[in-house]
Amino acid sequence: MAETKAKSEEKISCLDTLARNPLYVGLAIGILAALVQVLLISAGGPEAYGFCVACHTRDVVNVAVNDIAGTKLAVAAISQNAIPPVMTVIGVLIGAFVSARYYQEFRTKAGSAVSYIWYLLGGIFFMIFALFMGGCPYRMGLRIGYGDVVALIGVIAIIVGVLVGIKIATSMAEREG
Amino acid sequence: MAAAGWLSKDVAVIAVPVVTLFLGLLIGWLGQRSGFCSIGGFRDFFMFKHTRLLYGYIALIIGAFIGFLVLSLVTPAAFENFFWLLHKGLMPVPGAPASLTVTAYIVLAIIGGIAVGLIGVLLGGCPLRQVVMTSEGNIKSLVFVIGMCIGAVAYTAWIAGFGVTLLKAVGLA
Repeated sequence: MAETKAKSEEKISCLDTLARNPLYVGLAIGILAALVQVLLISAGGPEAYGFCVACHTRDVVNVAVNDIAGTKLAVAAISQNAIPPVMTVIGVLIGAFVSARYYQEFRTKAGSAVSYIWYLLGGIFFMIFALFMGGCPYRMGLRIGYGDVVALIGVIAIIVGVLVGIKIATSMAEREG
Repeated sequence: MAAAGWLSKDVAVIAVPVVTLFLGLLIGWLGQRSGFCSIGGFRDFFMFKHTRLLYGYIALIIGAFIGFLVLSLVTPAAFENFFWLLHKGLMPVPGAPASLTVTAYIVLAIIGGIAVGLIGVLLGGCPLRQVVMTSEGNIKSLVFVIGMCIGAVAYTAWIAGFGVTLLKAVGLA
């Protein structure tokens, strides 16, 4: 009995080693996104839409607002046709919560009032600019895999933004201390 | 012609929430275990020469390409425009505001990309990482995600239309 338990724990830790390596996680997300497309594309486009944190959040939020307030905010065709729409982000929230609880890594971390304002504004503008670009970095990755040149330009622009951000962050850190 | 996948349209519209929920559960679990982050990958590479997260993002692109390639050989009808460049040239895959010129899409990709990279690196992560950190109990990330929801409605209701008008005013759309 103890032996089988040890064995099953070993199996879990082996799977966990894979899950902890971003390389395999990235491969898995890419392949799963393609699989989602082959399963669900009949429900409606767009293509290369298997996984996107920005667009899928937009779909869920807009459909909820439409249902509650009777508005007609646009969503992707797939979320227009399906009831309820794409639930990916809800899944991520639950999946990550269960995992954090299971591995005892759940910690409530509060911030200052000022930091909340920055994060709120950050979230708002992040979403707006991501939607202008046509997706979060993940959908841009899927689109590159699909052969979209504009997505490649978008990711190069993200890298430029990261470099500018690092410059700002280091100069701010130097000024402070 | 409408694209056709493994599930017929009637079944697919019912399967959408179920399949995407399971996909999300899996990605949430994997994202929590690995700390997966696209913008974090670029940041760690340029700041510390750490390649762990960067390789994850590159693997995502390669995984997607392999998935699209293999499955498009099995079921071509589900991937009508793979390899996109050969079918539609420089026009991007739909998702950004509709019916603009190629130049306008490239301008949007550059402006959007720089802003996304900048905000992401200053606030400690891409949207997936923020959602995962929310589930790990980080209140700042929760506020970020709430901001994303507000941004989504604001974008759809007002800002997308305003942006397109602006692009047209400067002769780009």
